[in-house]
Amino acid sequence: MSNWLAQAITEAEQVNDWLSPKRESSLALLKKSPWPNRQTEAWKYTPINVIERTKFEPANDTFHHTSDIPNLNAIDLVFFNGIFDAQASTSALPAGLSISALADGASQTWALESFNKIKPKRHFFGLINDALATQGCIIDVACGAVIEQPIRIAQGFSSGSQSHTRVLMRLGESAKAVVVEQLQGDALCLNTSFAEYQIADKAHLEHYRLAMQSGEAISIGGCHFHLGEASQLESNLIGFGSQLSRVDMDIIHSGEHSNAKLNVIYLLDGKELFDLHSAIEHTKPNGVSEQNVRCIVADRANAIFNGRIHIHRDAQKILAQMNNRNLLLSENAQINTKPELEIYADDVRCAHGATIAQIDEEAMFYLQSRGISRVDAQVLLSFGFINELVDLMNNSAIADWLRPILRQRFANMEIQ
Amino acid sequence: MLKINDLHASIADNDIIKGLTLSVKAGEVHAIMGPNGAGKSTFGYALTGRDNYEITQGSATLDGQDLLDLEVEERAAAGLFLAFQYPVEIPGVSNMEFLKVSVDAQRSGRNLAALSSSDFLKRAKSACKQVNLPLSFLKRGVNEGFSGGEKKRNEIMQMILLEPKLSILDESDSGLDIDALKVVADGINSQRDGKRSYIVITHYQRLLDYIKPDFVHVLADGKIVKSGGPELALELESEGYSWLESYDRNAQEENV
Repeated sequence: MSNWLAQAITEAEQVNDWLSPKRESSLALLKKSPWPNRQTEAWKYTPINVIERTKFEPANDTFHHTSDIPNLNAIDLVFFNGIFDAQASTSALPAGLSISALADGASQTWALESFNKIKPKRHFFGLINDALATQGCIIDVACGAVIEQPIRIAQGFSSGSQSHTRVLMRLGESAKAVVVEQLQGDALCLNTSFAEYQIADKAHLEHYRLAMQSGEAISIGGCHFHLGEASQLESNLIGFGSQLSRVDMDIIHSGEHSNAKLNVIYLLDGKELFDLHSAIEHTKPNGVSEQNVRCIVADRANAIFNGRIHIHRDAQKILAQMNNRNLLLSENAQINTKPELEIYADDVRCAHGATIAQIDEEAMFYLQSRGISRVDAQVLLSFGFINELVDLMNNSAIADWLRPILRQRFANMEIQ
Repeated sequence: MLKINDLHASIADNDIIKGLTLSVKAGEVHAIMGPNGAGKSTFGYALTGRDNYEITQGSATLDGQDLLDLEVEERAAAGLFLAFQYPVEIPGVSNMEFLKVSVDAQRSGRNLAALSSSDFLKRAKSACKQVNLPLSFLKRGVNEGFSGGEKKRNEIMQMILLEPKLSILDESDSGLDIDALKVVADGINSQRDGKRSYIVITHYQRLLDYIKPDFVHVLADGKIVKSGGPELALELESEGYSWLESYDRNAQEENV
């Protein structure tokens, strides 16, 4: 067994809180699970031996803020190195919304029930998070409540920190909310951050995960959504690569007429790695799912996308689309993309496509013919490729904040 | 202004332009007409420096500056502009941003101070109005979802903003209804200041009713085979290009 894992298990055995009854089975499973390696399908292209190799120093406690998002006007839940900072967080909440720190959740029976109910057991680091996440938050939106203000869960990380956080959210029937998970920090640290969203019938969740840890950071997490009848999910994932960045997304349609959109942007440079495994489960008929995954890799960066669509036997009349487009800016960059379709219903429409391309020379010539240099044109075109998805974001404050950041990242990219 | 001498250009070893000689003076409008496959579009691409369009022989200078040695963007900064027959759609890049980056790049290439954002915005809005496009088109992706006519008008808007010395308009009239044609022609005419020059590539005399050319040339098989005044366009309109075959026969006989 890996030393890191052995230590994590030892730590987990010390955890004793209101969630302990729920942690037990995960811990038991974890003890039986082998440490993932290249032969483990889910980790085929993402080596995790770096976790073994790394010696984590005691955490540097210089506060690391996440960037402010101007005009977002959010309800802030602020975490530093995985620890909730009540002072930096918003305390006044609108009617219909209740939020508590995970540690203070004992009185909420629904939270105990829903912990680990949506997130599938197959995620190795999800099990670790089950066993070790004592920090995080519980968000409850009452039936019919429309929460206009976005709820921002801002997590900053400093060097040396190891942390495990969990978000549990319940969106009541016909309720509406916006959640922004923001993760930031480029120092060597390790965190697992998993979130479970229970979206009731006719509810609507607009979701952003800004996975913007970079540099030496080791960031592993997941977002898991359970969709009730006629519910809607619009999820956006922005991935900046780091030494090791992995996100698992599960969207489970468990009511008819549910609709989910997932738009994903990766931007990788240097030796960065970003790995997304998405899984869309259609268990009931008449559902719609649409995934757009766009990825730009420069230098020696490494992008992985594994997109699974699973349509169950009785889930007829499903419309499922998955589109993965990749732009390679260097010969040494790597993209591994794999669609996985498992369809047991016979009356469905399921489309998928993956392309890996270099820059469009026709568009390049058009821009150059207007006086724009090849390098600047490349930045414009790459930005445009990504910006198409940014333009689709509902929240203009996030889109406006993101554009210059993305542009800056392109400008710094190694173009060969 | 523009001097082209014995230009030969090929694509993938196929010779398309075979000895084209043309001289355009400041303020002049030249029309190039000719049958399909004569090399009209190739001429535009070769002169602007598109990849895979290889110049195998000849010279081309703009105000004495050798164009053929320059990168595509340097030719643009030198004052060359091509209005595309099929403008390219670039989703995700707003028209406004594209125009701003283009204007900035060209001004810097010409050692002019950059325009302030408000100055640029003013000019962009006025150019947009001039070609009769709604201002919302500035915010949309470059040519994204534009109709054929809107794309052509967008080309003219770019021309107005970039103020090139020499513009090549590659079938800017194709696919336009008569109103759109007038807008395009007015856009071009508004830019005729006695200094800036135009090469108008077209199949039809119709456009030349609105943009009066000083010279009309017939391009066939990669060469200019006949030049004349505006009356030549009318002649072509009524007689078509069938006379070229006899022209070819005559030429062959002469060679024999």
